[in-house]
Amino acid sequence: MLKIIIPTVMLIPLTWLSKSNMLWINSTMYSLMISMTCLPLMNQFCDNSLNLSMLFFSDSLSTPLLMLTTWLLPLMIIASQHHMAKEPPTRKKLYITMMILLQIFLIMTFSATELIMFYILFEATLVPTLIMITRWGGQTERLNAGIYFLFYTLAGSLPLLVALIYTQTTLGSLNLLLAQYWIDSSTHIWGNSLLWLAYMMAFMVKMPLYGLHLWLPKAHVEAPIAGSMVLAAILLKLGGYGMLRITMMLSPTINFMAYPFMMLSLWGMVMTSSICLRQTDLKSLIAYSSVSHMALVIMAILIQSPWSFMGATALMIAHGLTSSLLFCLANSNYERTHSRTMILARGLQMILPLMAAWWLLASLTNLALPPSINLIGELFVTVSMFSWSNFSIILLGINIIITALYTLYMLIMTQRGKYTYHIHNIKPSFTRENTLMSLHLVPLLLLMISPKIILGTTY
Amino acid sequence: MFRGVLWLLAGRGCVGRGLSTRSGGSTPDWTEKVSEIKKKIQSALPGGPWDPLYDTSHLPPEHSDVVIVGGGVLGLSVAYWLKRLEKPRGAIKVLVVDRDHTYSQASTGLSVGGIRQQFSLPENIQLSLFSVDFLRNINEYLAVVDDPPLDVQFNPSGYLLLASEKGAAIMESNVKVQRQEGAKVCLMSPEQLQNKFPWINTDGVALASYGFSMSSSRMQTSSGKEMTLKRIHEVHVKMDHSLEYQPVECALVINAAGAWSGQVAELAGIGKGPPGTLEGTKLPVEPRKRYVYFWHCPEGPGLETPFMADTSGAYFRREGLGHNYLGGCSPTEEEEPDPGNLEVDHDFFQDKVWPHLAHRVPAFQSLKVRSAWAGYYDYNTFDQNGVVGPHPLVVNMYFATGFSGHGLQQAPAVGRAVAELVLEGQFQTINLSSLLFSRFYLGEKVEERNII
Repeated sequence: MLKIIIPTVMLIPLTWLSKSNMLWINSTMYSLMISMTCLPLMNQFCDNSLNLSMLFFSDSLSTPLLMLTTWLLPLMIIASQHHMAKEPPTRKKLYITMMILLQIFLIMTFSATELIMFYILFEATLVPTLIMITRWGGQTERLNAGIYFLFYTLAGSLPLLVALIYTQTTLGSLNLLLAQYWIDSSTHIWGNSLLWLAYMMAFMVKMPLYGLHLWLPKAHVEAPIAGSMVLAAILLKLGGYGMLRITMMLSPTINFMAYPFMMLSLWGMVMTSSICLRQTDLKSLIAYSSVSHMALVIMAILIQSPWSFMGATALMIAHGLTSSLLFCLANSNYERTHSRTMILARGLQMILPLMAAWWLLASLTNLALPPSINLIGELFVTVSMFSWSNFSIILLGINIIITALYTLYMLIMTQRGKYTYHIHNIKPSFTRENTLMSLHLVPLLLLMISPKIILGTTY
Repeated sequence: MFRGVLWLLAGRGCVGRGLSTRSGGSTPDWTEKVSEIKKKIQSALPGGPWDPLYDTSHLPPEHSDVVIVGGGVLGLSVAYWLKRLEKPRGAIKVLVVDRDHTYSQASTGLSVGGIRQQFSLPENIQLSLFSVDFLRNINEYLAVVDDPPLDVQFNPSGYLLLASEKGAAIMESNVKVQRQEGAKVCLMSPEQLQNKFPWINTDGVALASYGFSMSSSRMQTSSGKEMTLKRIHEVHVKMDHSLEYQPVECALVINAAGAWSGQVAELAGIGKGPPGTLEGTKLPVEPRKRYVYFWHCPEGPGLETPFMADTSGAYFRREGLGHNYLGGCSPTEEEEPDPGNLEVDHDFFQDKVWPHLAHRVPAFQSLKVRSAWAGYYDYNTFDQNGVVGPHPLVVNMYFATGFSGHGLQQAPAVGRAVAELVLEGQFQTINLSSLLFSRFYLGEKVEERNII
C-alpha cells in the first residue's frame, strides 16, 4: 500500500514545484500513473484478503473502490482546468493540493485495517472537501452548502466515535480482519440497539439516507466540478463501504433495527426519483438521482444477503463512474452558457454531436440499460429485495421506471429539440473534455466484460 | 425575558421622544425594532445568503440566468412573461436592473398613455391588438391573490386619425390592412365625423379613421464574411451613489433600457467597428425629448372624446372627468429639442400646438394650460419602429427597445414575444422577425406609412 500512498503524497511537492505551464500536465500524468500502480491489488486470494501490513490491507471489496479513487484524481484535475484558468498560480496549486490531500485520505480510509484509523481519516476527508466547496464554489449559497455538509456529517459520525471506543474497550481490538471471526451471541438488550444505531448513523448520513439527505443537493450543486465529482463518486461510497464492514461486527439479533431504515430507503428512493422529474437545475437533477441510487445500496446492505452485497458493491462502482460522468457533462454545459438551468441550453445535439454521444451513453448507463454494470447492481439488489419481501418489488419497479423517465427527460431536454438562439456560438468541445468523458466511459463499458472484479466479497 | 428587554428599549425610546408620541407612535416603533432584530438574527444564522465578511443583501445576486437592463414597462413586461411562460415553475432566475428606482426620467411614467391599432405594419397592429386585450383583461394576468382587483384606468374611447386630401389614399389602404389583421376600424367622411363629434371643425379633413387597431415587409440577403461572435459573461451592476458594484454572472442580457438603449448597447461593444460592416452597425436608438401639455377647457369635448390625432400632427386626449386634456405634437426634424434635460418649452405649445388644436376643435380656442412635462422617446432614428430579438454578433444580448413613442402601448405583447424567443427559440404568437436587429445592417427600413 505504501507504493500507492507515498507517490500520492509526493504529488504535493510536484504541484508546488512545477512551472505554471507544466502544472496541469504534471499532476494529471503522475496521478494517472499512480492509478496504474493500484491495478496489481486486483490479484486477490479468493478466500481472504491481501494483508499488506499492520495498518493497511485490501480485499475484493476495497480494491474496486481504491481503483475508483485513484482513477478519479486525474479526471478531477482534467475537469478543473477550465474554470481555474484565470486564477493566480498559487491558488491553482492550492486547489490541486486539496484534491491530492483528499485522495490520500481516501486511499488510506479504504485500505485501513484498524477502525479508529478508518474513523479519523473518514472525518479528515471532510476538511479538504469543505475547503473546495466553500472557497471555489460558484455562488453565494455555497457557504450554506458547506455548513450543511459539514455539520450533517459531523453530527452523524460523533456517535460512531463513541461506539468505536466502547467496542475497543470491551473487545480489546478493532482490527477489521479479526472482526470477521467474532461470534457475537449477545442477547437482545437496549444497549445493543443503541450500539447498532450509533454505528450506522454516520454511514446513513453519508450515503445519504432519504431523511438525512438535505446536505447532498446543496453540496453537489454548489461545489466546483472536481468537488461534485469526488462527492458523487467516492464520498458517498465511504458510507456504503463503512456499512458493509460494520455489519459483520454487529450482532445478528438486532437485525430488526434495520426496518425503519429500509422503509425510509424504499420510500425515499421513489420520492427522490420523482423530485428529479421536477427539477429545472441540471446539477440538482443529477444530485437527487445520486440519492435515489444510493438508497438502493442502503437497502441492499441492510438485508445482508450474499446477492445483495454483490449488488451493492457493483452499484457503488457503477454509480460512481456514471454520476461523475454526468456531472462532467453538466459542467461542460455550464462553462458555455453560464447557467445551470436546463431550458436555457437545449438542442445541443445539433451543435455538439460528439458530446451528444457521451450524453447518450451516460444516460443509458444511468438508467441501468443492460448489459452495463449499473444493471447488474440494480438487478442483484432487486432480486434479493424481492426474496426478502415480495411487496418491495412494486416500489422497486416504480423506481426503475421513474429513473428511466427522468434520465430520458434530461437527455431530451438538453440534447434534442430546437436549440436556443444564444448558444449557437458556444465553443466546440475541447479534446480535454472528450478525453474526460471517454476516460469515464471506458472503465464503465469494459467492466461489462468481466464484472466479477467489482462484485465484492461474496462472489 | 426577551420581550421584557424589548419593552424596556421601546419604553426608553418613547420617553426620550416626549409625551406626544406616547399614545400612537410607540407601537409601530416597537414592531419595527422587533423586525430589525429578527432580521439581524436571521442574517447570522445558516439558512440564508450569509456572507461572513459583510452583509450583501442590498446587492444583486452573484448569478442570474437573465439580466434585464432597464426596469420600465418593456423590461418588466419581458420579466413578467418570462416567469409566466416558463413551463416548470421556478426554472429561470430573472434580474431586472434599473438605474433609477424613482423612474423620474423613465419614458414609462411620462408617457401620454394612448393606445391605438391604426398602424400600417401588420406586426404593429397585432402587437397593439394583444396589448389592448391584455389591458382589458388585466386582472386575468396581473391580479394577485387576496389583493383588490387592479384598475389601470383603461378608457376605451377609441382613436381618431384624421387625414387630409393627400393622405386619404394611404389611410384607406392602411385601414384595409388593419381590417385584415382583425382590428375594428371604420372610415368616416367629414359629414359623418361632424355628426358624431359636433365639436370638430372638419376643415381640410378628407377622411377619418376611427377605430381600435396594421403591415408590409421587404427582405433581402447578402453574402457573408468572417465575423467574431461575442458573448456577454457578466453584467456589472453598479450601486447608486457608491463605488460598489456587483458582477452578476448571467446567460442572457435583455436590453430594455428605453431612451438609453444606445448607450447600453455601446457598453456591450455593439457598433465598434468599421462603419458599413455588421460590427460597426450601432443600435440607432437615441433619446428624443417630447413635450406633453395638460390643459383645462370648460367647453371642450365630453366623454366620448377619442384620442384624436390631427392631420397636422397635433394630438390630444381626454383626462379624467373634469374637462381636462393631455396633448402635444411631434416637432419636425429642424425643431428637435435638446434631449440633455427634461425642461419644458412652453412657447412650443403657443406657437406650434395650440393653433392646430384651436383650428380643429374650436372650443379649444380658450383653454388654460395647467401643467406640462417632457419625456423621452426611445427614438429609433432608422425607421421609428421597435427592435426586438437577438444581436447577430453579441449572441446573448436581446433587444426590446426603440419603439419611438409606441412602446407603452405595445409593451405586453413585445414582452411576450421576447419571452417566447428566449424560452422556445422562435416567435410563437406574433411573428416579429421583421423587427430584428439585422435590418439595420441590411438597410431595410420597416416604416410606418402614416398619414402625417
